[in-house]
Amino acid sequence: MLAAGIIMSNGLGSLSLQKKISASLLAVMAAFGLLSYLILNAVISPAFESLENKAAQTDLVRALRVILADLEQLKSSTGDWAPWDDAYNYALGENPAFISINADIPTLVNLDLNLMQFFDLEGKPLWGQLLQRGEGVDLSKLGILEEGSPQTRKLISHSTIESVISGLIQTNMGPLLICSMPILKTGETGPIAGTIIMARFLDDSRIWRLSEQTEVEFAAHPITDASVDMAGAVAALTGNDDVNFYHETTDDAILSYGLMRDVFGEPLIVLEAKTPKELSALGGQTVNGTLLFLSLAAVFIALVVWMLLRRVIVSPLETLAKHIVGIRQSGDLSQRLDQARSDEIGELANEFDKMTTEVQKARQQLLDQSFKAGKADTAAEVMHNIRNAMTPLFNGLERLAVSFDVTSNLRIKDAVEQLSDPECPADRKDKLLQYINASFDHIESVGKNAGGDLEIASKQAGQVQAILSDQEKHANVAPVFEVLDLDDVVDEAAHVIPESKEEDLLVNFEADIGELQVRAHRVGLLQVMGNLILNAYESIQRSQSESGEIRVVASSETVDKQSMIRLTIRDTGCGFDDSIRQKIFQRGYTSKQGHMTGLGLHWCANALAGMGGRIQAESTGFGHGAEFHVLLPSAHGG
Amino acid sequence: MNTHHHEECIRVLIADDDEHILECYREAFEESEQTDHVQMIDALAAELFDPETDIEDAPKFDVVACNQGDDAISLATEAADEGHPFDVIILDVRMPPGIDGVEAGSQIRKLDPDVQIIFVTGFSDVPRDELERRVPPPMKLHYFNKPLSFMQLAKDIAGMVQPH
Repeated sequence: MLAAGIIMSNGLGSLSLQKKISASLLAVMAAFGLLSYLILNAVISPAFESLENKAAQTDLVRALRVILADLEQLKSSTGDWAPWDDAYNYALGENPAFISINADIPTLVNLDLNLMQFFDLEGKPLWGQLLQRGEGVDLSKLGILEEGSPQTRKLISHSTIESVISGLIQTNMGPLLICSMPILKTGETGPIAGTIIMARFLDDSRIWRLSEQTEVEFAAHPITDASVDMAGAVAALTGNDDVNFYHETTDDAILSYGLMRDVFGEPLIVLEAKTPKELSALGGQTVNGTLLFLSLAAVFIALVVWMLLRRVIVSPLETLAKHIVGIRQSGDLSQRLDQARSDEIGELANEFDKMTTEVQKARQQLLDQSFKAGKADTAAEVMHNIRNAMTPLFNGLERLAVSFDVTSNLRIKDAVEQLSDPECPADRKDKLLQYINASFDHIESVGKNAGGDLEIASKQAGQVQAILSDQEKHANVAPVFEVLDLDDVVDEAAHVIPESKEEDLLVNFEADIGELQVRAHRVGLLQVMGNLILNAYESIQRSQSESGEIRVVASSETVDKQSMIRLTIRDTGCGFDDSIRQKIFQRGYTSKQGHMTGLGLHWCANALAGMGGRIQAESTGFGHGAEFHVLLPSAHGG
Repeated sequence: MNTHHHEECIRVLIADDDEHILECYREAFEESEQTDHVQMIDALAAELFDPETDIEDAPKFDVVACNQGDDAISLATEAADEGHPFDVIILDVRMPPGIDGVEAGSQIRKLDPDVQIIFVTGFSDVPRDELERRVPPPMKLHYFNKPLSFMQLAKDIAGMVQPH
């Protein structure tokens, strides 16, 4: 988790919120999947394997028990025959017909026996019958129970009437389940008359039958015939008396081994039970199924969480961020989020809306105050206008200074003194007179020009004073460009049209703006439009008409690949000719008699240039009205 | 616009949207009766009282004036085409409603790489480095703030160029 945190802080820092959340959910899902896989493999799979090993051990025990049960059944059959007066008498040699009557082959087959044999008390075989697949076979083929052999003596020697000798014994024909009991009278009373032996081969057919009974697949391998594959099992089972179970695992089964000893206690048979690996396969399926379920559940949960986060957090935050960026880029403070949410994001959005409203109000108040106070101009405009006005003043004074400098250096006195000298040559006198005349002409000229220069200087000083007085009224408001509804601007600017006090002048004002918007300095544009509308009104006044019309229309167009809005202010006033058109935007020009501020249309042209726009004037001549075209950048780019 | 032709004079094009300022330029650059009269007095005074003094001839200017940037470009183009390019072009920076002086200077520089260009403005709203970038090279670019002495400017221009 720490590593994931470091990755989050370093690698994901530049990603969007949505991508960070997606990456986090993917990381959590991957960690969950890996953890599930490890836990299931560490806990579930070993549990199934343990169960399977126990099942294999149980199968081996069941195989062993079914063999022992078969041996018990053999003991039961032997126990039926051993305490029987007819057999007793036969063993004593007093009932020679016993065998022919009771021990024929069908009886042995019926008893599921392969061997029945009687011995007298001295160990001498009285009779015996060996069967293989229902047919009699020579007893000597067995290789055991030979008369007088120590092994035979051990098998037929019973010291008490309760004596039972049973178990497995190896013969030349294979392992044999054998049971030896003393022959007694009916009622299990002695003395012992001899020994009866019953036996069954533990051959493949019997193993198969027992296997069918137990539903355990097993086999009995004589230890002497044990294959190389079982060498490990034989070594483990015979090498240590404490080990009675051994198992090996193959791809599809568990092979479990147990050792069976013969009636004398010697290792005889390796019992092999085969248990299919169904449990571990089931365990594998369970693990895989669980992993699949958990993975699908994790994906589903992650999707639900992602969608919830997106709907509840990411999407609203994106909307908020987009809104904030939009306001920053457009400067349009009229936009609102209007989120109908009551949670923290809704609260944040509402607070932002409130803040935007407050900022908008503050800006509006600031601009309105500035507008109401009079014409607001920038410091640049004022500097420009003042310095322009000062230039003629400065140069007029300089000319005056130069002229007086020349005057002060005139040598009229020297010329008069030389002229009064009687010895002065005539031609020099002529030149001295010429100099004196020229000097007086210059003085006279300086006097005349000084008046003109001083008049210009005075006028220019008055100009500077007018600019400064005008500017003094206004706050120094830095221009703020914003998206403006032209309709609102024109409506507001039209308030400059005076309420008609003269009933003989009726001016109809119409505006057809639509919903066009521009990006401009609100107060500056209001002043420009106010100026143009007022000019139009005054032009109608000057035309001596009884009525007139001012019409403002707007349209959009593309100029130099830039989307622009064209505002046309058309009036039915007195108009102007081409000579006026050429200088109408020059500073100081006015067509209004007795009204000279030096700003007007020159200022409008400068203000519009500062907003990235421009102005043109058109008229077909005096008496034909005029059109002013204002071009401004559209609010919607381009 | 007024045109006066003189032999071996400095050809100057002036663009300013303020007619009063253009008048000041004319008074400072062009010859008048008064300047002729002063020169005559100086010559007589030198002859009568200081015979050994040398009187320097005042520089002579051939002045063309206009009040829009577009007009300045047209006049500069026309003069160059006729083989009589201007030696100096004086441009106001702000000349509404047309293009500004910097744009005009930039276009004039493209057609005449040798002309000395002088910007004169009431407010230095264009940084010097931007001017140098748009109207290179710096050696042939000059910048003055209004108000300034046009007589001094005339002397500076005389030192700046060799008369024709």
